[in-house]
Order: sequence, then C-alpha cells, then structure tokens
Amino acid sequence: MTTPLLQTRGLARAFGPVIALRSVDLTVAPGQVHALLGANGAGKSTVVKILTGVLRADAGSIAVHGEEVTLSRPADAQARGLAPVFQDPAMAPDLTVVQNLRLTGVDVAEVHRVLADMDLDGLDLTEQVRDVPLPFLRMLDLARALARDPQLLLLDEITAALPPDLSERVFGLMRRWKEQNRSVLFISHRLAEVREHCDMCTVLRDGRDVDSFVPAQGGEAQIVSTMLGEAAAGVREEARGRAREGSRPVVLEARNLAAGRNLRDVSFTVAAGEVLGLVALEGQGQDLLFDVLSGNRHSDSGELVIEGRAVRADHPFDVIRHGVVLVPSDRLQALLPQRSVRENIAAPLFNRVARWGPINGREERRRVHDAVSRLSIDTRAGSQVRRLSGGNQQKVTIARWLAPGLRVMLLFDPTRGIDVGTKHQVYDLIRSLADDGAAILMFTSELREVALVCDRAAVLHNGTIVAELPPDAGESALLRAAHGLETVG
Amino acid sequence: MTAVAAPRPSTRRDLRTLLAENPIIVLTAVLVVLYVATGLKDHSLFTSNGVRSILLLACPLAIFAASQTLCMLTGGIDLSIAMTANLVAYVAANQYSRGTAAILALGLALLVGIAVGIVNGIGIGVFKVNPLIMTLGMASVLLGLVTVWLKTILKGSTNLIPFVKTVGSGTLVGPLPTNIIVWAVVATVLVLGLRSSGIGRMVYAVGDNRIACRLAGVRVWQVLLVVYIVASLLAAVAGLLFSGTTGSVGPDQTNSYLLPSVAAAVIGGTSILGGSGGYSGTIVGALILTVLNRLLLALDTSEAFKQILYGLIVLALAWLYVRLTGHKGTADAR
Amino acid sequence: MTSPTASVHRVATSIPEPTGGLQRFLHRQAWTTGVAVLMVLLVLWRTSQVPHFGDFEIRTITAGAMSLAFLAMAQALVVISGGIDLSVGAMLVFTNCLSALWMDGKGLGECIGIAVAVVAIAIAMSSLIGVIITVSGVPDIIVTLAASFTISGLALVVLKSPGGGASLDFQKLVAGGLNDYWPSLLWTVGTLALVWLPLRRTRLGLAIYAVGSNRGASFLAGVNVARTRVLAYSLGGLFAGLAGIITTAYTGGGEPRASIGANATLNSVAAVVLGGVALTGGVGGLAGPVMAAVCLSLIPAIMLGRGWDPSYAETWRGVIIIAVVLVGGLVQTRRRAT
Repeated sequence: MTTPLLQTRGLARAFGPVIALRSVDLTVAPGQVHALLGANGAGKSTVVKILTGVLRADAGSIAVHGEEVTLSRPADAQARGLAPVFQDPAMAPDLTVVQNLRLTGVDVAEVHRVLADMDLDGLDLTEQVRDVPLPFLRMLDLARALARDPQLLLLDEITAALPPDLSERVFGLMRRWKEQNRSVLFISHRLAEVREHCDMCTVLRDGRDVDSFVPAQGGEAQIVSTMLGEAAAGVREEARGRAREGSRPVVLEARNLAAGRNLRDVSFTVAAGEVLGLVALEGQGQDLLFDVLSGNRHSDSGELVIEGRAVRADHPFDVIRHGVVLVPSDRLQALLPQRSVRENIAAPLFNRVARWGPINGREERRRVHDAVSRLSIDTRAGSQVRRLSGGNQQKVTIARWLAPGLRVMLLFDPTRGIDVGTKHQVYDLIRSLADDGAAILMFTSELREVALVCDRAAVLHNGTIVAELPPDAGESALLRAAHGLETVG
Repeated sequence: MTAVAAPRPSTRRDLRTLLAENPIIVLTAVLVVLYVATGLKDHSLFTSNGVRSILLLACPLAIFAASQTLCMLTGGIDLSIAMTANLVAYVAANQYSRGTAAILALGLALLVGIAVGIVNGIGIGVFKVNPLIMTLGMASVLLGLVTVWLKTILKGSTNLIPFVKTVGSGTLVGPLPTNIIVWAVVATVLVLGLRSSGIGRMVYAVGDNRIACRLAGVRVWQVLLVVYIVASLLAAVAGLLFSGTTGSVGPDQTNSYLLPSVAAAVIGGTSILGGSGGYSGTIVGALILTVLNRLLLALDTSEAFKQILYGLIVLALAWLYVRLTGHKGTADAR
Repeated sequence: MTSPTASVHRVATSIPEPTGGLQRFLHRQAWTTGVAVLMVLLVLWRTSQVPHFGDFEIRTITAGAMSLAFLAMAQALVVISGGIDLSVGAMLVFTNCLSALWMDGKGLGECIGIAVAVVAIAIAMSSLIGVIITVSGVPDIIVTLAASFTISGLALVVLKSPGGGASLDFQKLVAGGLNDYWPSLLWTVGTLALVWLPLRRTRLGLAIYAVGSNRGASFLAGVNVARTRVLAYSLGGLFAGLAGIITTAYTGGGEPRASIGANATLNSVAAVVLGGVALTGGVGGLAGPVMAAVCLSLIPAIMLGRGWDPSYAETWRGVIIIAVVLVGGLVQTRRRAT
C-alpha cells in the first residue's frame, strides 16, 4: 500500500473538563475523497481544527506523506499542503477579495484560473468581501485554497450554504482533483453527497473513530447506524415521554414565523405540560427560530402567540414577562462567568427597575438554595461560575428560571457537551417542569433524547417544519426526516 | 462524554484564588508597608495631624475613583468626571456669590452634575456610543462651556459656600477630617449597594456579560443610564469637596485627578473590562496613591519620576490581575 | 437520487451582479469625500474672513495642522488594526522635548540625524507597548493609559521646563518659513502618497486592515495576528515621533507639559473618528484623518474670525466627536443588518 497522504494517530483534545476527542485515527490515501462523519458533538470540528493548525492536540500525531508534522498555526498547515475551506470563510469582511488573496500571498492569476475552471470567472474580485453573497464567498475561499496547489483539501460543510448547481461544480472539481492523485477530506451532513462522491468514510462517535468503510457499499443506512452506535442497536433507557392525554391548553404557538434567510415558515404549538422536541441538522434555521421565540430578534413575518395573545417582542423582556424563558445553546451566552452561582441564579429577578432596591438576603438565599438542591448543583467552585464544569454551568442556566410564573421554557440543545449523569438529571428536570404544567420546546442534536424526554417531535428542515413524529418514531426516521428525505408511511 | 470532577485546587492555586478574590488583603498589606516606609522618612505621618492630612487628600480622589469604579464595573470608563467636578464647583460658588441661598446653589450645582450624567448615560446606553469617546467628547464640551461661561453666565465672584468649606477642610475629631463623613457615606452606599441591591447586581452583570443580561430580560441601557448619572453625581460631590479643601474654584483644578482615579480603581482590582472588582479595593487604592504621593514628596523626587512610577505601577498591577484571574482582555471587549 | 435540498432551489445560481460604481464609491469613499468637502468649505470660510489670503495664511493652516495630522496618522494606524493608543500625545511631547534638547544649537545635518534617532526611539517604545499589549492580555486602553503616564514623566526628565531649540534651517526644512507653505504641505501629502499608499498595498498593510476587520478570520487565513498588532503600534510610534519632530520644528523648542499630550491624544482620537476610521477597526485610511486634523485646527481660527469666543471650539470638537461616532454607529448597524 502506498504511503497515506494524511495519517493521524490517537488525536485527543479536551476543553477544560469536557473531552472533545478521545482518540482519532484517520488515514487518507492519495487520490481519495474521504468523508469525515459523525453526529453533532462527535468531534468532527475539533479534528478539522487540529488538522488546520487552529487548535493543538493534547496527544497524538499527524503525518503528511509519512512525515510527522507539528501544526501550531494555520500557516503551518498551509505550508504542509493542507488547505482548509472553513464553514465561515476566512476572509476579512472590510477588504476586497483581491486584497484578501494578496494578504495571504496567493497568486491572483492562479485564483482566476481556478475560478474559470469552475465556470465562475465572471466573479468580480474587486468587490468588498462584505458585499459578496455567502455561497460565492465559499467558492472564492475554495478557489483560494486550490490556488495554493495543496495536497489535501479540507472541506468543512462546504455544500451547506451552496445551491445545487454550485455544489455540482464543487463535486466536479473534486473529481478532477482526485485524478491528479490528490485528496479531499470532506465533512458534510448531506449523506447523499457522501454516498455519491466519497471513496471512503470515517465515522466518529464520542470523540473516537468507530469505523471506516466505503459509503457507496454500505449506503446511508450503514452510515446512520454507525453514527448512532449502540443506542440504535437497542440499548434503550427508560423513555420519559408520553403521548398527550386529553387536550391541554396550548401555551405557545408559532404562526408562520419567518426571519432572515434561513427561517422561512414555521408553525407549531406547545401545550401546557408537554415537551416538544425539535430536531434539525445544523443550519436549518433553528438558531433564528429560538432567537425569535425568545424575543432576541424580530420575526420578519408571522406571529408569536403566548396563551392566546399575540406578542410583539422588541426585547427578551417582552416574552419573559409572559413567562417564556430561554436556555440558550451556548452556556457562555447566558452566564455571568465572573460572578457567583448565587448571583447568576438570582440575576433574572432584577430585570425590572422596581426590583433594583435592597435585596432581601434571606429570601434570596432560600430561593437559590431551593434551586441548587432541586438541580443538585455542585457549588464547591461556586464563587465564579466559569470554574464550574459544563454540566453544573448548564444547571445554573436552567436554575435561574425556576421561579414562579414559568410558563414556557425554550431549551436549545441543553445537554451539549455535558456528561451522561448530568444529562439524565437534566432530562428528569425537564420532565418534572412539564409535570408542573410548563410547556417545553427543546431543540436537540442528540436524536435519542427525543425518545427519552419528548412527548412529540417536530423536524425542521430548510427553515420549515417538515414532519411531526411521535417520540417513538425511531432515530432513523427522525434522521431521514431531518435530511429532508421522505418519511416512511 | 465523561464528567471530570471539579479539579481539586492545590495550595498554590488556593493562594492564587484567595489573592484574586480578595485583593484587598494584599492591598492593605501594601498600604501598611508603604505607610510605615513613608513615615520613617517623614515622621509627621505618625502624628494625628499626619493621618488627617492623608485622609483629607485621599477623600476627593477616593470619590472620583468611586465614579470610575462604577463605570469600569460595567465595562466602561468616565473621562468627563474631572470637568464635571470643575463645572459643578464653579456653579455652586458662583451662584452662592450672587446671593442664591446656599442650599439652592448646592442643589443647582448637583443638578448640573446629574444633567451631565444623563447625557452620558443616554449616549452610552441608548445610542451605544463607545464610553471612552462619549466621555472624552463630553469633557471637551464641558471644557468649552466652562471657559465661555466664565465670561458670560458664570461671570462674577466666586465665594465658596461656607458649608462646603467646612466639610472640605474642617476637622471632625482627632485625626479625622470632616470630609470623611461624605466619604463614609459614599463608601457605605457603594459597598453595600453593589453587594446587595438589585441595581448593584445588575452593574456587575452588565459588565460581565451584556448578552446574558439581555437574555435575562435586563434592559441594559437602564442600568448604564443609572450608572453614569451616579458617576457624575459622585464627581460633582468630589468637585465640591475639593473646592472646599483648596478654598478655590477653577476651570481645570481637578483635572489632575482624572488619571489617578482610573489608577486607583485598577490598583484596587477593578477590571476595565467590567464584571469584577468593587469599591473597597478602590478605597485602598486611593489611599495607596495618596501615601505614595507623600512618599515621593518626602523623597523629594521630581514630578517626572512620579509620573513614570505611576504608569509602571498601574501597568504592573493590571498585568498581575490578568495573570491571577486568568482573564485575558481583548479589544473585542470594548 | 438527488440531493434532498435540490428540490428547493431549482434555479441555476447566477453570478451576482457587481455592486454599481456609485454604491461601491459610497461604501468606500463617501466618508473621505465628505471630510474633503468639509475641509474645502472650512478653508473657503476661513479665506473669506481674511482680507488678504496669501502665502502666510496658507502656511498658517498647513504648518499649524501638520503635527496633529501626523498624530492622527499614528492613531489611525492603531485604530485600523483594532486597537487604541492613548499614549500618542505623550509620545509627541516626549519626542518634542528630546529632539528640542538634542537639536539645540546644532546645524542642519546634525538635526536631521537627531530626528532620525529620535523617531527610532519612538518606534522602539511604541513597539514595546504593542508587545506588552499582545503578551500580557491587559486591555490596550489600560496599557496605553499607563504608558502615557510614564512617557509624560520621561518627557519631564528630558526637559524640566520649556526650552531647547533647533537649527533654523531645520525648522524651515520641516515647517517652512513664515510665508512658505510648501514644506509643510509636501511633507504631509508626501508621507501620505509615498509612505502610506504603498504601505497599505503591502501584505503588512493588508494584514493591519484584516486583523482590525476580523481577528479570527485573519488568524484562520494564516495571518500572524500578534506580530501584525505589534507592528501597527510600531508604525504608530513612527508617526507619533514624526509629529514630535514637527512640533519642535514648528515651535522651535520643547514643551514638556503633560496636559499638552493629553489634549493631543484627544485631538488625535477626534481626527481619527471624524476622518472615517471605525473604532471597531478595519475601516478607513490615513487621508481622512489628516483632512479631519486640518478641519479641527481650522475651527478655532474660524470662530475667532467670526467674532465668537474661540473657547467654544472645544465644545464643538466634543459635539462633533460624539455626533460622528453616533451617526457612524447607526450607519454601520444598518449596513450590517442588510
């Protein structure tokens, strides 16, 4: 066998207490289009960051053409012939495209040639990056990467924002590229693309590489089951969700909500005591949806109805007033990192001027204590919440809303990056909140959580709800729906 | 993913945490050492009169630094406090000289201070103007206005209000100057208010994470408006006290307090990025700077050396705090 | 089977229309043009106030604005790179004092040598400031504020009281004689044309913009962010040092008062903001701040000419800074939103 173009051994990386990568071996042969797959949080993006010199691995080695390399800066990776195209184009928005190319020492004529290859020579490179639409920016970023004449292209979700005809040009290019005996590491959520265009795939799960196979042989079914791992094989935990008994009053209703480019038309209802799970691949508009529901952003059209009243929210306070609260995706968005657990939990109490007076210490302590014990938060490092573990931080972001008047809780991927034990505590908490009569909308990137926690699942694809499924629909049905494939039956 | 138990801090870490969270212990130690060292050079410092002189001089600085601490806790800065103080002191003295009742003159002067704070607060809170620029611009505006008004609407003699003079320069008892009453009130309100009032919590919260505040339903502009109003009000009080201490008013008399006010807050452990620190540290910071001044005076060093030392101390302490708290500041935070 | 998303967008994607010439001009040059127009208007206004607008009057404007113009360039470079330098004014005072001390009683040739040496010192000091900022992680405001104390102190060490001097020939070479506006004009325009314009096309120049525009993206693109930030401060030191030399040449002596430095820093920030450099970094150039510096120096003269109290100039400066930042912020928010 020829020397692999790229070979990693035992890549590992932790972020504080959270382990993102345990051990990843990855081998890309010359002339191979290799897909890197995995569910959200499996470690794909960390691998990409390590291979591009953005992050350093805690352990493990990387070899290019059999020669071990150290990549401590993006420039190192580029010098080794590893050329990345990131999800967010690495271009300074205030410079023109040409300036961005010159900035990184890329031959502009070469870029023109590559663009002509992709039939894109009409693009005006003197345009400011800010004014170029995202799909074309990706193509330009790709052209820049190619102009460096690299050995390996890393394409991180390049097709996610591309219309199909541009995607086709990328694939065409990949085919020609491979004929020159060079390789591509291809990261995509679109399994059809992987099956059709990749020679080999490696699937990551929980920070390890679990399997490598030829995707066209196994097909999407094998990919999906490998991504899900044992969970799909039948080791099921007790499902907490139940079908709705009788009719409960609807608390939160979205009517044809649309916002920005990605959220096109979303309607759903959540009733008191119900947990609605929202499932979507990355970038289907879920971020915008939660922004709109939590009052952080205006909707462009459509209505947000809370307990029968249409609410026009200019500020999160306008929905919080009605008992609609958000636990956002990024804990760091919701926490006061330098302040104590107590202050974090009490913070929302002071969101109106009338409460700006002296604090009743005893009353506050009691409330904080109640929340801390209900969620069993470990407050040993509680003087600054940034020192808490991810799971405890997440509990704090939930705990601060456990006050009377909670009607709707919006949770965005509440268990991302936290450990299994804490996850189950969070599930139990969500269920008990629902039992107390709260309506809960939970976006999750872990499909099994639908069965574990939810009463109902809605699937968001391309900015609109494409399916509503019962919680026991099964992960493959959910995943198929999330990929925009027809649901069975 | 696995849970990793909260790391058990080593002793060294404990010490670091202790220092990071209670810089006041270290600062007090520094103050005591500095005080004794200065006293060895200048024996008058060990007399009741010596203590009084330090407190008397530290008081206006500490109150200016109180404004600065408040603004810095929200991640801002107020560079208009010195000009606000000048204007307020001038208005009070001028109005009193024209026969306005002392209490009215005082009230009017404080209203001027509040007005400045409202404009600052609206600019920074509502229109999101960078605090540095807003207050620099405000200082400029006030300087122009003062200079012109001296010749027009504020023309005439300036006799200090006797009450201001008494508070600014009198002696309460033993080594305690009268102005320490004002300082004590400010300190009590700020230390308690920041720790255990709703608005105090919000001051820290806004400085720590503005997005989190918004998501928690806090209208950030309301907090900023209050902060800049209080900051200007405190500056007004400091200006009045200073005029009482020196017995004069002038269009630029407190300007030399501007940078030391920032320095006192930084030395006291308040981060310019916001969210951590407090007034108790600032008090010690103001005392340290005052004693340091005295030491340099006793050593007969030049103004030049004093300036150099000032800069180096502020930089060294800011660096130390960054090292201790492990909080890297970035320009993005601005 | 086709990709599932294919059904959603069937239409072939067309290459986007390039933005029209007008829009492009508005986005990139509107502010500079606006400042240029403002400068012309103010100059015309000033002209109309003086019965004989001759060489002397022109020289008063060009040489009078020169040191602020260079200081504005220093501040602009740092701000474009995403930082701020509150020590440029102190640096001006320091280099002013140092050059005045060393140049006193020397001939033209020596003075030029001294100027080079002093500017080199300024560059070294500013580079050190840049290194401290990037290494320590202390906010740039605090570091440069502390540096402004220290450098003001150094200026006092160099020159205890106003004094020093420079060769008359050197003064004429830099700031021109009383009726000779060419040197000041040529130095300023020449620096813009021969130093700045080529520089902004180099990779370093582009990197300064890129780092100020988006630090993360620049890092991913392979730019050495820390080195670029330090070099921006070094270049700032170059221009601040030149501003100090110019002050020596214009005034014929050194003046160590710290308040001059603080005021100069304030003016430099004002000129940068008015000159169209966004405080968030990555946007603007040096020509705008230079023209803004001319505008700012003209305001007191014009007010005096109108019979207004020139002290109002301070007030106007403050109002202009605030208004410009406010409007600039609103415009930018709107542009980002679309």
